[in-house]
Amino acid sequence: MAKLSLLWVDTPGLEDLDPALVAKAAGMALDQGGLLEAAVVTTSQEQAPAAVRQRLMGLPVAWLELAAEVGGGPEAHRLARAAVAVSRAAGRAAKGTLPPVYAPQPAQSVLVAGAGYSALAAAWEAAAMGHPVTLATPFDSVDQAGADDDPEAVSLLAAQLPAQVDLAPNSELTRLTGAAGGFNAWLSTNGDAPQTYGAVFLAPSGELVVGCEVDGLDPALCRPVSGLNPEDFAGPEDGWLHVAVLAGTAEAVPSYSFSAAMQAALALAERPKVQVSLLFSEARVAAPGGEKLFRDCREAGVLAVRVGPGKLEVRQGGRELAWADPLLGEELELAPAAIVLAEQATAARPAWLDNDLLVKPWDELVPDNPRLAGGRTSRTGLFITGALRGTSPGEARRDEAASAAAAMHQALTGKVVPMPAVRDNFCASCLTCVRTCPHGVPRYTVDHIQCAPAGCVACGACAAECPAEAIAPPSWGNPEMFSSLEWGLALAPEPKMVLFACAASGMPAVTSLSAQGHQWPAGLVIYPLVCAARMSQLLLLRALEMGAQRVLVAGCHPGNCRSITGNHKAMAKIASLSGELAALGLPTDALEFLPLASNQTRELASAVRAMAQKAGEE
Amino acid sequence: MTNAQLDTPVLILGGGVAGLAAAVDLARRGVAATLIEREPRLGGRASQFCCKATEACARCGACRLGELLAQAAQLPQITIYTAALAVAAQPQNDGWQVDLAPQPGGEIGPGAGRPLRERTTLNTQAVILAVGGGAFNPAGKTRFGHGRVQGVFSALELEAMLSQGALGPDGLAPAKVAFIQCVGSRDASLGRLWCSRVCCGYALRMGRVIRKLLPDSEVTFFHMDVQDYGRAWEDELPLMRHQMRFVRAMPGEVTAGDGGPQVTYALAGEQAQKEGFDLVVLSVGLGPPNGASALGELFGAAKDDDGFLTADGGPAGVFVAGAAAGPRSLNESIVHAGLAASAAAVRVASLTEARHG
Repeated sequence: MAKLSLLWVDTPGLEDLDPALVAKAAGMALDQGGLLEAAVVTTSQEQAPAAVRQRLMGLPVAWLELAAEVGGGPEAHRLARAAVAVSRAAGRAAKGTLPPVYAPQPAQSVLVAGAGYSALAAAWEAAAMGHPVTLATPFDSVDQAGADDDPEAVSLLAAQLPAQVDLAPNSELTRLTGAAGGFNAWLSTNGDAPQTYGAVFLAPSGELVVGCEVDGLDPALCRPVSGLNPEDFAGPEDGWLHVAVLAGTAEAVPSYSFSAAMQAALALAERPKVQVSLLFSEARVAAPGGEKLFRDCREAGVLAVRVGPGKLEVRQGGRELAWADPLLGEELELAPAAIVLAEQATAARPAWLDNDLLVKPWDELVPDNPRLAGGRTSRTGLFITGALRGTSPGEARRDEAASAAAAMHQALTGKVVPMPAVRDNFCASCLTCVRTCPHGVPRYTVDHIQCAPAGCVACGACAAECPAEAIAPPSWGNPEMFSSLEWGLALAPEPKMVLFACAASGMPAVTSLSAQGHQWPAGLVIYPLVCAARMSQLLLLRALEMGAQRVLVAGCHPGNCRSITGNHKAMAKIASLSGELAALGLPTDALEFLPLASNQTRELASAVRAMAQKAGEE
Repeated sequence: MTNAQLDTPVLILGGGVAGLAAAVDLARRGVAATLIEREPRLGGRASQFCCKATEACARCGACRLGELLAQAAQLPQITIYTAALAVAAQPQNDGWQVDLAPQPGGEIGPGAGRPLRERTTLNTQAVILAVGGGAFNPAGKTRFGHGRVQGVFSALELEAMLSQGALGPDGLAPAKVAFIQCVGSRDASLGRLWCSRVCCGYALRMGRVIRKLLPDSEVTFFHMDVQDYGRAWEDELPLMRHQMRFVRAMPGEVTAGDGGPQVTYALAGEQAQKEGFDLVVLSVGLGPPNGASALGELFGAAKDDDGFLTADGGPAGVFVAGAAAGPRSLNESIVHAGLAASAAAVRVASLTEARHG
């Protein structure tokens, strides 16, 4: 049995905690197993007394970090929380749990695979922070712009590229494995040998495609906005040349695409004897300058026609357009000499992305999740930017690269995060962790599970799913989780209840409520989790077994989880376990998932109130 | 009395999402920053916003303020002063000397920074203006009756009502709700010739929240065009057209009626008609920051044609982040702050290198 020599509560927010309370909590832990030699509460390591620091030298220390959530609240609660904290460390020491493993230094090099503005911006940003950068482009030179890029902006950025950017022209990424701090990348110019990179930016150059316009147009009349030369257009002396610009007639187009169509319409309208009709279902003017451009078009004589999605009729073999005009109350027809079509930026998804790297579907890798804005993906250290991600051309791509690069730099150089520990002798190589981890950290190599050096966010999905208790992020293994839950529930008066609160949603709401002086029910144990993904059915059952009458899990709304599906996983576990509760003689609504945002304090308070009321009635 | 002295590589003005995101991104890059907020507490306009999730997250970004506040509180490179106003600024060798004056109020809470207590002179190499955009005051559009006709609210007021639970089964339960879009944007009569980008997104999302809270209610959306708002938006729009009534017309006026506000509008090619509602929401647009001209004078910051701040053509070492530079959603502001942080970090690095050879 390991012995905990010294406990250190290193928690901002606990500074006002009465040392006597901690002593009492520590005493309780001592009574339980006699494991604790001393407990020290301090705000930071620097502020610890010199004597304490000296005693720490060479001793096995359980580092304990409660998040900043502790603060305010009645004293009894703080005691309970301190006890939870103390016992967590005690449990870790007692039950021989996984020791923290510190990863080898993450690789600092960065691979940017792609071309055009997004790729150059990523390379520039990474180099500006001192990372060695390899820019692998499928083209001969790096100033090759994508079809959706401004060529001038691209050549300007290419000229500014720092010298430490290693250029790999005519080179494509063909395979990628690993995660932050240790990616293996296969480049077509390197044969079979993979190179190691700390982070990877994937930013293939964009193409422009016509979409969102009505079918059946005569191809001989059609040309895309980007292929337009207004000089080709001039009307006859004695009449007009009619040109139709279609900008989202089947379905509305994005505003950058609408702006480009308006610019084309304006250029055409300035040609002699050319009459331009701009047809669209919605005028998308949200791009900078869009509204002014819209007005300029109309002032220049462009006919702006709103025609409901799919309401534009195509006749005469695709040479005539017809629509019902609500203002005139009649049907109008137009036989244009040319039809100009709006385009949208897109990029082909590399085939290897679906096979090799990910195991996960694209929507889980690049979900439309606000927590992964700015180029981030669910895999720490992998950034997907630009056209492949659907980011609008122009400055938004530069913002995205800058935001992504800051996250990359922090992941590779920030505080070294202990990586999940794996007990090889327990591991059955079932690969559950490989499938479960939303961040791609564990991978199977030869005969054991190996974790990437910098990708873990400690969400605990692996620990919740591993059937052999062989893997867990530090301090989130079953022994410490169970021990602290047991302690919290042992201290709580009846009716006992547990609130498991996710660090991104439930816990900030708890903190705000506590700061406002909210009175929590005395029997409520508030248990912080990094992510609802850590919720396991064993943990839920243990809570019920220890006398909790009700358990509430406050996690993020679907689509808002930083670990993508942590909230879904918790919901599924609660749903399936709830079906078994009746057989155990427990109320079928004893377990509940509350989707919550960090600012929904009122919703949390009322859910806890409702839970307490139900528990009190039983 | 001499001012307290403070040196900081980067000074950030504004403690809303853009300022906080700039501070966090600078810290990620290893650059220290001091952030000042003139109000007693951090958060800016986002702190009034409600969560707009219904069955799933609506990606409005309102929750990201909490995330940023928590991150900023934990990063040692970030120093935050609330109730602090920049009152004077002078360019100097390597950047700026800025005088800060304490403002009334200022509260201490978890992650809220601390109030500035004394006049302070701050030397900095770079300044990031993240003062946010200004919301249009609906009183400037008198015919919509805000402040005059009972039952007419601005969208900001609706955000607060939804946050506080004032609207719903336990509070106000309107049977008919109307949103009027483009109040103070796309409006030549006000000289505000820009689309505010965010209003279609917030209005339709709040409409959806109202429909969820009050399933029997009817929500009408008066608009010119529905703007784009992110990747999943186009997939959600057809569903929203089922949940709410889309009317393509800009109402002429809102007047007081017997049962509530009356909206006068005309469909294309039809006569004007009046329709009664229980609640009318004016979707106010984002404009240049309040006090943009004062900031412009203070730092000589450049402005674009519409009055938004811009780093282009402005003095060296002054950068702009978020809605102060143009209408932006919360998520866009957070990403936009990344570029200001990058530019400021590069400037600090080059100045430091120059100084130390």
